[in-house]
Amino acid sequence: MLHYLEEELEQLRKKIIKMGSLVEEQVEFSFRALFEGNLELAETVKSRDDEVDKYDIKIDKHCQRIFALTQPVANDLRLIMTALMINSDLERMGDIAVNISERAENLVDYSDLLKEMRVDEIAVKVQKLIKMSIDSFVNGDAELAKNLIKADAEVDKLDSVIFDLLAYKMKDNSELIVPGMHILTLVRNIERLADHATNIAEDVIFMIDAKIIKHSKDPENLEQKNNS
Amino acid sequence: MKEFKIHTKNLNLYYGNNRALKDVTIGIDENKITSLIGPSGCGKSTFLRTLNRLNDTIDNVRIEGEVMIDDINIYDKNVDVVALRKRVGMIFQKSNPFPKSVYENVAYGPRINGVKSKKELDEIVETSCKRAAIWDEVKDRMNDSAIGLSGGQQQRVCIARALAVDPDVLLMDEPASALDPISTAKIEELMFELKTDLTIVIVTHNMQQAARVSDKCAFFLMGEIVEYNSTKNMFTKPDKEETQNYVSGRFG
Repeated sequence: MLHYLEEELEQLRKKIIKMGSLVEEQVEFSFRALFEGNLELAETVKSRDDEVDKYDIKIDKHCQRIFALTQPVANDLRLIMTALMINSDLERMGDIAVNISERAENLVDYSDLLKEMRVDEIAVKVQKLIKMSIDSFVNGDAELAKNLIKADAEVDKLDSVIFDLLAYKMKDNSELIVPGMHILTLVRNIERLADHATNIAEDVIFMIDAKIIKHSKDPENLEQKNNS
Repeated sequence: MKEFKIHTKNLNLYYGNNRALKDVTIGIDENKITSLIGPSGCGKSTFLRTLNRLNDTIDNVRIEGEVMIDDINIYDKNVDVVALRKRVGMIFQKSNPFPKSVYENVAYGPRINGVKSKKELDEIVETSCKRAAIWDEVKDRMNDSAIGLSGGQQQRVCIARALAVDPDVLLMDEPASALDPISTAKIEELMFELKTDLTIVIVTHNMQQAARVSDKCAFFLMGEIVEYNSTKNMFTKPDKEETQNYVSGRFG
């Protein structure tokens, strides 16, 4: 029984890591499609989304099987619950990569505007958060997860700056309203990627420390809240 | 108001030179189900048996420390052991009905406690069988031998027999380990109903059973309590690594 459970949990971890790598690459490809105007890469992202969806279902089924056959408790239970939650976030991130790739087609002639609106900067920050989120799960690193949650504030700040920049630009030149609207939607999507990475970090903290920190305003004072 | 129904303080038990319980201090809540878990030989059954002085009958047993029930040390010299065992009933792993009729099994306790009236005995038997969720199955077989019942039914007759003397604590030593899942579920449902009137302490090797039925859980290892915690915490975020390893099946 024990050997069986260990084996199942290891397989599950490997699946999550594989799903994480796949989604990380999908996001990277979608940004390259956007900033390099590489529409072929955008098509690759869209066609590979099926693979992400298949992995999502595979992980769900695997978790269901472990629950049904081994009745996991404590650390094991939290690992499987975390795997389910992370899986859901990764799948949504995969969908967002597709949305970004679709937006790349509309913005293929606006690479200068994207740069001027600092979209490349927010993309770099978000990719870093995604990497941190997956690394925190792989290495069971709650500190890294906490740093990620703090770093998300920078993304939110830049998101707000970009909004103002876009508003100013569109007021100034009405011809930029349509591409501006595309960029606005695009940045919303990019910011959502950061939110999903934050969710993963929260799940990792739950897995390691058994503390539920989601919906908390102040990650520094989470322990008090959870111990009450 | 007393803090705990049962409270042991620095309880030590020796079988000859072998120290089977080591400074066990634990407070057991009234009207709750407390499960004792741990690998074979860890002392959990020995501990359970100290709560109604069943170990007294074993040669070479020496007990130190206190076992307080309702703030009275049950090891005090002036404690009447028979009266104690009437208040603290016990159910064993293997059902042990007397080779008598169902009625005589359940009426046995009240009868030796002086109840003579047939009407009163009838009432006690019916009420006890109903509380033990066995009445519907045996009401037309009261004069049949209890030995002829199924294992699950025999166990519930034993519970009815324990309830007939109106205890306020029920000790259960792996009460469902020899039963099929349906009979096990009946015993567990019964425990939930009984805890409104009784304090229940159960020894179980079945982790899922401990998780399902108990409010609090004590993990024993080598005669000591490693962790005593709410069952919820015990199975979601135990404080001790040894507990984590045991409840997840990594040792024991």
